[in-house]
Amino acid sequence: MTLYLPIAEMSVSVIVYLALGVSIGFLSGLFGVGGAFLLTPLLTFLGIPSAVAVATSASHVVASSVSGAVAHYRRGNVDIKMGLVMLGGSLAGTYLGVSAVKILRVAGYFELTVSLMYVIFLGVVGTIILVEGINASRQVHAGRGTATRKSGQHGWLEGLPFKMRFPRSKLYMSAVPPVIIGMFIGCMSAIMGIGGGFVLIPAMIYLLRMPTGLVVGTSLFQIVFAAVVATVLHAVENKTVDIVLALILIVGGVIGAQFGSIVGTKLRGEHLRVLLGAVVLLVAARMAFELVLPPDDVFSLATVAGAS
Amino acid sequence: MRRLICAAIVLVVALAGQALAETAQEGIEADASTRQVAITSSFTGTEILVFGAVQNSVQPSPEAGTYDVIVVVEGMPAPIVVRKKSRVGGIWINTRSMRFASVPSYYAIASTRPVDEIADKAVLDAHAIGFDHVRMVPIAHSRTEATDPAELKSFKEALIRLKENERVYIKSDFGVSFIGRSLFRATIALPPNVPVGPLTAHVYLFKEGQMLGEYDSRVMLQREGVERYIHETAMSRPFLYGLVTVLLAAGSGLAAAFAFRKPA
Repeated sequence: MTLYLPIAEMSVSVIVYLALGVSIGFLSGLFGVGGAFLLTPLLTFLGIPSAVAVATSASHVVASSVSGAVAHYRRGNVDIKMGLVMLGGSLAGTYLGVSAVKILRVAGYFELTVSLMYVIFLGVVGTIILVEGINASRQVHAGRGTATRKSGQHGWLEGLPFKMRFPRSKLYMSAVPPVIIGMFIGCMSAIMGIGGGFVLIPAMIYLLRMPTGLVVGTSLFQIVFAAVVATVLHAVENKTVDIVLALILIVGGVIGAQFGSIVGTKLRGEHLRVLLGAVVLLVAARMAFELVLPPDDVFSLATVAGAS
Repeated sequence: MRRLICAAIVLVVALAGQALAETAQEGIEADASTRQVAITSSFTGTEILVFGAVQNSVQPSPEAGTYDVIVVVEGMPAPIVVRKKSRVGGIWINTRSMRFASVPSYYAIASTRPVDEIADKAVLDAHAIGFDHVRMVPIAHSRTEATDPAELKSFKEALIRLKENERVYIKSDFGVSFIGRSLFRATIALPPNVPVGPLTAHVYLFKEGQMLGEYDSRVMLQREGVERYIHETAMSRPFLYGLVTVLLAAGSGLAAAFAFRKPA
């Protein structure tokens, strides 16, 4: 069965994209990540113009993170004040990112920028997750517990202005770091079409030193709103959101996510992290190869105003 | 007597000339099988049939090859950028580009034999018949854009090759066939990714390198039904479109979470 996509302007097999949605959903349910970092490259690989892939993935992030965010909110695992402060930065960053996409598409560097950012971020984050996962599983085998975090220590961050109290996280700190982190993530998500949880979570743990129990909920809370804004901005600024493609992927994704989370509960946390790190690194490696290997054709076409 | 012979000769020549002129008044009539092609959600490409007849055909049989017919179906002209990658510090980056002010978004050509055998370059250029003769006007824009003629040629060739790979430039050297002394037909493929917009079909009649006639026809290619509604909303009311997408996404995410909720 095939469907004609109104924005991508191409006829695609529904089964293929449904299967893609299910697999991405499975992984996101398994690892507790949005999975858009896998979705965007796979969509471009299947021939969807990369600007459409990025914008449509943003809407996929909304669907895949909203249920998690609601679940965490119900359990009281969301520091709303911190989330809102980060969201403020994130919205500014998203706007910057969407504008950057527009400029980069005109200049012809959009695909390159996306690929480079994927290689760098996924490479670094994948390595961190993998190494940590391996260390953690070693420690578990050795019978030691995971290291406890030092609370209330921020070092150089202490000197920054605009101090605020975050009662839920039991933190008294400057609003500058969360705003900057939010801005950075927002900009990155808009360009890469991802939620950014895999960068946001480590940043919240290691830079903001938030309690681990609140990190996932707060990041999901922030990501949902940022992705909503990114989707609308992409629709307005670039006109590249394909609603039909989004629906196919979302339907597959929500089904896959349920199976993923069932399997996820049966695996150990450390093993999951090693697996996730490996998957992230694989994607980064694939994109790096694409940049380095000679392309099939050194020439490419782009329409001046719109879809590349 | 002499004067009489002269007059007779003049008369004969004039009569013969008139007779010749009468038989040589060949013309062309043609049309496309479909005037309207609807792009709906189930659109997977289609074909249009272009057919026509040579008026006052002197062709003894369909295989005689007295006439040559060329069918060109063109989409709306649009600006396009061709980019070229080269290796910079180990990675492949777009370094050169060439901007064309207007290039047909779709170009299908079918003929009774290769167009270069049918007519000479000047005629083909004048009517933009054939890939090598399509009008492509480059515009210089920035310093990274190509200006050198050899480079320009390589960009043009790349443009045609890429468009052919996308199946929006189609050439069929023996795609027009005569089915009678005067009747001919050609099928033109419209791929699933055909650019939406009006198409113009030109049908040219040639005899011994001379163009005897031309016939033009329009084919409308437009979105219909849901496709049209979605596209129009996305283009003219993007904010609403974005909002609806987000609501659908959030709604399905929440619905799934609710439907699959583990019994607590």
